Amino acid sequence: MVYKILVVDDEAPVRDLFEDLFKKEGYSVKSVATGEESLELVAKEDFDVVLMDIKLTGMSGLEALKRIKDLKPGIVVIMITGFGYDEELISKSKEYGCAGYIGKNMPISQMVSSFKLFIKAAKEKTK
Amino acid sequence: MGLNLEKAIYNIVDRADSLVFYCDHTGKILMCNKKFKETIGMPSDSIIGCDCIKVIYHRLQSVSGKEHLFKAMLDDAVKYKRPSNFESLLSDGSGSEHTICWGMSPILTNNNELEGILFLGNDVSLSKQREVSLKNIDETLKNIFLSIKEYALYAVNLQGNITYYGMGAEDMFGWPRKEIIFKHISTLHSYDDVAYKLTFILEQVRNFGRYELESYFINKEGQSFPVNLTVTKFIDASGNMAGYIFMAKDITEKRKLEYQIFQSEKLAAVGQLVAGIAHEINNPVFVISGRTDMLLENKSLHKKVKSDLKIINAQIDQIRKLVDRFLAFTRKTLPNIKELDINKAIKDVLPLLEYHKQPCNEIKVSKVFAKGLPKVKGDSHQLQEVFVNLLINAYQAMAGGGILTIKTINKSNEHVEITIGDTGCGIPPDALRNLFMPFFSTKKEGTGLGLSICYNIIKNHNGTITVESQVGKGTTFTIKLPFAKKGGKNGL
Repeated sequence: MVYKILVVDDEAPVRDLFEDLFKKEGYSVKSVATGEESLELVAKEDFDVVLMDIKLTGMSGLEALKRIKDLKPGIVVIMITGFGYDEELISKSKEYGCAGYIGKNMPISQMVSSFKLFIKAAKEKTK
Repeated sequence: MGLNLEKAIYNIVDRADSLVFYCDHTGKILMCNKKFKETIGMPSDSIIGCDCIKVIYHRLQSVSGKEHLFKAMLDDAVKYKRPSNFESLLSDGSGSEHTICWGMSPILTNNNELEGILFLGNDVSLSKQREVSLKNIDETLKNIFLSIKEYALYAVNLQGNITYYGMGAEDMFGWPRKEIIFKHISTLHSYDDVAYKLTFILEQVRNFGRYELESYFINKEGQSFPVNLTVTKFIDASGNMAGYIFMAKDITEKRKLEYQIFQSEKLAAVGQLVAGIAHEINNPVFVISGRTDMLLENKSLHKKVKSDLKIINAQIDQIRKLVDRFLAFTRKTLPNIKELDINKAIKDVLPLLEYHKQPCNEIKVSKVFAKGLPKVKGDSHQLQEVFVNLLINAYQAMAGGGILTIKTINKSNEHVEITIGDTGCGIPPDALRNLFMPFFSTKKEGTGLGLSICYNIIKNHNGTITVESQVGKGTTFTIKLPFAKKGGKNGL
C-alpha cells in the first residue's frame, strides 16, 4: 500500500531525512515546518498519515494533532519527540487521538518498523 | 484664749485622717478621735474606758496571739517611757482588715512621770497591698521568664556573667541552671563567636538597644547548632543599663526545611536543563544515525567507507545511550498507583541483595518492621527501585562488613518512616550536599543517577527522603511516605 505522508518538524535536516527515508520505502511524502502549515495542507489535500513533532515553533504539536483529528478524523497521526519517554505527553496525545508515539532516540530501522506497525493497527481499527 | 486653743487642738485631732487615741498606763482608752471610732466601727461609749487591746482586736479572731505584740509594745512604753513604731492589723465594722502603722508616744508629766500614751495610727493597707502585688508581679514575671520553653532566654550583666537563665535555655544548651549561672557568656558561644562576633553584638546593643542575627551556639556536648538570636539592653528599675537580654531560637528544623526546599528547587532546575539539552542533542543524533543507516543499506559501498560508517554509527550510539541516561533522570512516568503494604514491598526486594553480598564481608542485617502498618498509596515497582538502590549503596559502603538496619515506623498514623542505615564508610559533608544531584557520584563506576531517581520517585509519592551521615560511622537514609487513608488505621 502506498501511503501519502505529511511530515511536520521545525528542523529541516529532520524533515529531509524523513522524506528520503519514506521515499525509499516507496511512499509519497510532503513536509512542512509548522503546525499552522500542516493544518492548511491537510485541509487542501488528502493524507493517509501525519508524522508530527511535539515541540514546534508556534502552534504546538499536540494542538495541531487535535485540530487535524477534528478536521479529518480518518487521518492517522503519529507523534515524534526528542524528549524520550514522557507519559504525560503520551496520555495527552492518546486523548487527542494519535495512533502512536515515536522517540527520536530510536534507531532508524526500529523507527520505520514501529511506524508501519502503528499505521497497520490504526487502519485495521477504522475498518 | 487658752480654752480656744484647747478646742482648736481637739477639733484638729478629731478631724485628722489618722487614727488617734490616748490611754493610761494600763491601756485603758481615755479619749479617741472620729477616724478611730469610724475605723473600729464602735460607738464612743463602747470605746472610752475600755482596754485598747480588746478594742483593737475585738473582731480579729484569726490573728489571736498578735495582741501579745501590741501588749508587749505597750508594756515597753510604760517601762522605758520611750516612743516606738509598729504595725498591727485592725478589723473594721465591715470585716475588712487594715494594716495600721502605729506611732506610740508616752506623755510625761513635768516630773517625768508617765501620764498616758498617745497612739497615732495611719492606715497603710493600700501601699501594703501595692507592695505585695508588686512582689507578686516580680515573682510571676520571673516565673514566666524562667518557664518559656520555645526560646532560650537568659540575661547577662555588664561584665558578661549570666544572671538569669530560663528553662528554655536549659533545654537548648543542655547546661543546668545551677551549673551555668554566673559563668561567663562565652561558655555558650563558639570560639569564633566570642572572638569576632560577641563584642560586636554587645557594642551594637549598647549603641542601638538591640541586635538580631543568625548564629551558631554550642551545647554542653560541644555540638554546634544554628539559632536566631536577639539581644536587647537590660534596663533596671532606675533606668540604667544593667546588662543584656539574650533571646535565642533553635532553627535547626527550619534550616533543614530550607535546605530541602533549596535542594528540590535545584533538582527541578537541573531536570529542566537536562531535558532541554537531551532534546537538542536528540535531533542531530537522530539525523546523523538515520543518514548513516540509510547509507549502510547501499550494498555497493566500498569496504573502507562501510567500516567507517559503522564506526560513526557505533559512536552515535554511545551519544544516544548517554542522552537516554539523561532522559531517564527526567523520565516522567505516570506511576501505577495502588494501595500497598510497605513492609512487604521491602521484604520482596531483600532476596535480590544476595547477589551483592561479598562472601568475605560479614554484614549483619537487622530488620524491624512495624506491626499493623496502614497501607501506603504508591507504585510498588518504583518504590522497590528506591529500596534496592539504597540497600545496594549500603552494602557497597560496608566493604569491610558491618550492620545494615532496615526499620519501618508508624509515625502517629500519618505516615510511615522507613530508615535504611549502614555502619559503613560514611559520606563526607561536601558530597552529602550534592548527594541527590543527578550525575553526582562518589563511586567510580556509578552513573550518578541512582539517588536522584530515588529522590524524584519519593517526591512523586508526596514523600520526603533525607540522609544523615558521618564519615567512618555510617549513613542513614530516612524516607517518609504518607498513609493512603488519613489517620491510618483502616488501611489494612
